[in-house]
Amino acid sequence: MKRWLTDLDRILRGEATRLDASQDEALPIPLGGLLLVILLLAAIYGACMGFFAGFREGGACLMQWLAAVVKVPSLLFLTVAVTFPSLYVFNALVGSRLSFLAILRLLVASLAVSVAVLASLGPIVAFFSVSTTSYPFMLLLNVLVFLVSGILGLAFLRQTLNRWNIRATIATPSETESRNDTLDRNVKKVFTCWMVAVMLVGGQMAWVLRPLLGKPTEAFHWFSPRESNFLHAILEAFSNLFS
Amino acid sequence: MTSLWTQIDDILRRRRAVQSRSTGSAMLWMIGCIAGFGLAYGAVMGAFGGVSGDRPWQVAYSALKTPLLLLGTSLIAWPSFFVFNTLVGLRRDFARATTALMAAQAGLAIALASLAPLTVVWYASSSDYGDALRFNGAMFAVACFAGQWLLRDHYRLLIESDPRHRWMFWLWLAIYVFVAIQMSWVLRPFVGDPNAPVEFFRREKWGNAYLVVGRLIYDALVN
Repeated sequence: MKRWLTDLDRILRGEATRLDASQDEALPIPLGGLLLVILLLAAIYGACMGFFAGFREGGACLMQWLAAVVKVPSLLFLTVAVTFPSLYVFNALVGSRLSFLAILRLLVASLAVSVAVLASLGPIVAFFSVSTTSYPFMLLLNVLVFLVSGILGLAFLRQTLNRWNIRATIATPSETESRNDTLDRNVKKVFTCWMVAVMLVGGQMAWVLRPLLGKPTEAFHWFSPRESNFLHAILEAFSNLFS
Repeated sequence: MTSLWTQIDDILRRRRAVQSRSTGSAMLWMIGCIAGFGLAYGAVMGAFGGVSGDRPWQVAYSALKTPLLLLGTSLIAWPSFFVFNTLVGLRRDFARATTALMAAQAGLAIALASLAPLTVVWYASSSDYGDALRFNGAMFAVACFAGQWLLRDHYRLLIESDPRHRWMFWLWLAIYVFVAIQMSWVLRPFVGDPNAPVEFFRREKWGNAYLVVGRLIYDALVN
């Protein structure tokens, strides 16, 4: 466990993705251990988020708390699982040098960064969950926290790609450089499109998995019927904030 | 006693000396300062309703709540600050940054305690609860200014070594203020209305400070 946490720490510090890091293997990190740490940290955030249901007025809803603990890791893993195949295929199509495993490692590392930020903001969310009874406020706070952690994870991914680019340029002889440049530009475009897609999919995935927080007025249920969409719900929460 | 005095003086004056001593014992000293001086101001603050009957309980509650407000807020905000510092690559300075944060908190508590005599004079000269609330608010504002001043001074040393610390300074203030406002709302009453029963937390719902203020503004704008 300690080793896995050290690996996470190395990723957060940027040591695992440094320019002088091992050249023959992109991102030398053990996937299995890191995935377990991600699962754990996501569950911790889920527990913090679930305090809203756990401390609700008129009796705690322990099932909703448990649902949050289970659903937050599911949300993250499902989002990555849904978007990964298309990322790999389009990367291969534009002629990227990144192998299947390299892309997977990169994604897992970015997910680890996101989850670390998420879990570190957990105490703040837990504190507000315990002391606030307003559902729209907690919904928006959680969306904001997910947004911040998502953006930081994606920023990490972008930065790592840039570093790999520089490393490849240094390693490649000059005559093939211009060809590599075009390819890298295409790879970056693919990743940029993918980042937009992953945000949209993530939001909608949260909507599919709802209720994550659990409306205080509703009885517990694992899933809600199909209706509306994520963005509509956010706008509704804004309009209900002060009413 | 001399040692205690030197410690307090160091916190207020010698930034470099405090920063170079970022050990566990220095940290304990600062936490002790926050607890001790916070307790002292809190006790004075809670004495508005006098000390007869069950009012000493209000004094005790207020005394406990002030350090709780300062330390609790820091504790909640600290994990995310740690991760953000690590992410931007400032981990090697993190012990110094934490020392700076704690020194600023300790400075805030010392400043609060130094203002306690003024609060006593105010309480002796006015019996209006609303005025007492506003006066204590003003004292907290002055102490916060002192704490922020110290933090900025400490951070100046850090920013000299790496300009990215400037971002972390503002980030800390944002997270800290966001949590502190809600924390002080949850921990109400600090002064204790003499006409209301003594209680640790308000009997009504805890509620959310931002929503209360937002609703006030919303109502003012809409109606």
